[in-house]
Amino acid sequence: MVATVLRLRYRILGNTLARRPWQLVGFCFGILWAISILGTVVAGLIAAAMFQGLDVARPLAIVGGSALLLGWVLGPVLITGMDTTVDADKLAPFPLSAKQIMQALTATGLTGIPGIATSIAALATIALWVRWPFAAIVAVPCVILAVLTCVVASRLVSSLSTGLGGNRRGRELIGTVVLVLLIMAGPIITGTLALLTSTRDLGERMQQIAGVLGWTPIGAAWAIPADVASGVWGLAAARFAIAVATLIVLWMLWARALAGLTTAPRQRAAKVARSGALGLFGRMPTGGVGATWARSLTAWLRDPRYLRQLLIVPLFPVLFAFTGGVQGFMFSASAVIVALVLCLAGYTDVSYDGTAFASVLATGIRGREDRLGRLLGAATVGIPLIVLLAVVTTAVGGQVEHLPGILGASLGLVLAGYGVCAVSSALIVTPVAAPGDSPFKSVPGQTFVTGLLVFVVMGACLVIGAPALGFAIAGFATGNAVWGWVALAVGIVVGGAAAALGVWIGGRTLDRTGPDLLQRIKAFPTT
Amino acid sequence: MTDTQLVPALQLAGLVKRFGDKTAVGGVDLVVPPGSFYGLVGPNGAGKTTTLSMATGLLRPDAGTAWVHGVDVWADPVRAKAMIGNLADGVRLFDRLTGEQLITYTAMMFSVPREQIAARVADLISLMDLGDAAGTIVADYSAGMTKKVALACALVHAPRLLVLDEPFESVDPVSAANIEDVLRSYTSSGGTIIISSHSMDLVQRMCDHVAIIAAGRVLAAGTVDDVRAGESLQDRFLSLVGGRHTSEGPQWLRQS
Repeated sequence: MVATVLRLRYRILGNTLARRPWQLVGFCFGILWAISILGTVVAGLIAAAMFQGLDVARPLAIVGGSALLLGWVLGPVLITGMDTTVDADKLAPFPLSAKQIMQALTATGLTGIPGIATSIAALATIALWVRWPFAAIVAVPCVILAVLTCVVASRLVSSLSTGLGGNRRGRELIGTVVLVLLIMAGPIITGTLALLTSTRDLGERMQQIAGVLGWTPIGAAWAIPADVASGVWGLAAARFAIAVATLIVLWMLWARALAGLTTAPRQRAAKVARSGALGLFGRMPTGGVGATWARSLTAWLRDPRYLRQLLIVPLFPVLFAFTGGVQGFMFSASAVIVALVLCLAGYTDVSYDGTAFASVLATGIRGREDRLGRLLGAATVGIPLIVLLAVVTTAVGGQVEHLPGILGASLGLVLAGYGVCAVSSALIVTPVAAPGDSPFKSVPGQTFVTGLLVFVVMGACLVIGAPALGFAIAGFATGNAVWGWVALAVGIVVGGAAAALGVWIGGRTLDRTGPDLLQRIKAFPTT
Repeated sequence: MTDTQLVPALQLAGLVKRFGDKTAVGGVDLVVPPGSFYGLVGPNGAGKTTTLSMATGLLRPDAGTAWVHGVDVWADPVRAKAMIGNLADGVRLFDRLTGEQLITYTAMMFSVPREQIAARVADLISLMDLGDAAGTIVADYSAGMTKKVALACALVHAPRLLVLDEPFESVDPVSAANIEDVLRSYTSSGGTIIISSHSMDLVQRMCDHVAIIAAGRVLAAGTVDDVRAGESLQDRFLSLVGGRHTSEGPQWLRQS
């Protein structure tokens, strides 16, 4: 049964790659990347085994193994997206017990590229213990235990983030909360590490971290061979108990999460608004611009896929506060960085409509009305946020004299971004998570080329935003407040002109490309 | 009467659409007279949805032209689409909106004056029996309710031509009967409807014209009585399209 599911998974992968050459290119790069990382790791481990003693091998195994587990848990959420090619939902119609489904999913996790790479790297750590034969023998089951823990933990997080079962609104809420926590974990870890860096040297610090991690569920399995090597069998047994208990608890939690997913209905009537509660649709003026504005703004305020992009607004200041302190230059300038990221948010805005774009197309509104409506929707959220962020960070950082310059640079960038996106989203559509799906889900059909287009769009935004940015930097460099005000004026004028031009060009483009965009959206694979 | 019949409500001439090397629609010509209730029937994959998408400006044809009341859909889409009420099949709605918001949004997109919108939305909600679900987001609707709210969106700007792709799929019989009444009264007041369906009974009962499409071509078109030529529409359809099996199904499927 497990073999059947594995064959299914590789058949799906094969079919996808065979139909989409550019995805195959990306896939090959992925494999090359994995192989190169793996080569470095294995070489490093062998070198450590040959030239270093137990005091290096122990922290290396524990810290490396813990990092591996964190990677398995955070990586899919933050970077690559959840692989849902084969998941519990899709296996539900078949006569399989919950246990069989979990076995099959664990097996698919182990045999994916990350699974294979992890297994090889983990087995390579056995090399660390060649000078202590007993430890090397004990390391084998420990490594297997650790790799299984990685896979099961990652599956658990994926079940949790795609929802604890229950209703749709609950899933969306939990998904967003998990995302916020995970994103905030990054800066907190960086900050903690930065604090440690300042106090001790590298080796000592690693020793200390390993000492702690070795007693936690994260690192226990990796600490056992070192204990055996130093002959403390009692400690080894205790840690083994921790490691086994970790795997069992994760497995049981996962079983519960899956039971929640399969027994609770996928969709349940959510809170019912009283009739007549039209929200923004009752307030905006009638016509294509007003309607699109209302819809776009509603999405920016309620759709997790849009909200996810707004999460970076608090992220950057927090990150810079941890790394450079609130007095630092980067903290006060975080509005500019946020503007740079936020201006990319809508670069394939039409993709988020999905096939519902057909209903925009069917109304026959002019492209420029659609562009203007979307721009107003994004700007209604984005511009107040940027202004607020600039005011707060400069005030907290005690750099109020630089506020005009920072406002000018960031508004110039974000307005330029709205203009560029008005054009780019009339030309490009990319596969994105469907409305209501977890925003963390990985989406099939993302290709190498569309990924690269982000940089083209970002480059265009930077070029248009450059004048205001230049004057703002001049203001910083000379300390002359006049340059800041010039930057503000230039940013608003140039950015505003770019936005207006973008609506015009993008509108004309969309009039021409609308039906083709819809056809491309329809052709995207659906999971 | 003769004057208006010179300009068909919908006219398709030589529409062609290929996907890769597969020809989905291979030259469809169709004339839908104003005020008619036109049925489009055909087996799965016959090209009905593709044809209607090209007629309503959602899918660019490889060749051919579509006119709505004399306006070329692909040359002047803004004017043509303003006359069309479109219920497309196989596409999502903006289903994060409540039913009421979605209909209001569609009315705004068609620039219906603000003071008329609320009344129209209320009428459509009661017409579609969606009163209890008006404040629920469309993603939480059942398949039939989703179809009904999509139909309401197609009607809200009082179009001259209604293009309905599978409008009665998964709609309950009571709602279907109510909607049928509304559609009849719409055509009797001069509106035109073209509807695709798999249900021969429904087409024979409701429509005055019918076209049978298979493999991307029109096999027969005209008034229902002309096309069925004395037979039932079902029999006529089967003899034109072919492919009827008479077997009892595979042996292993039989339970005794």
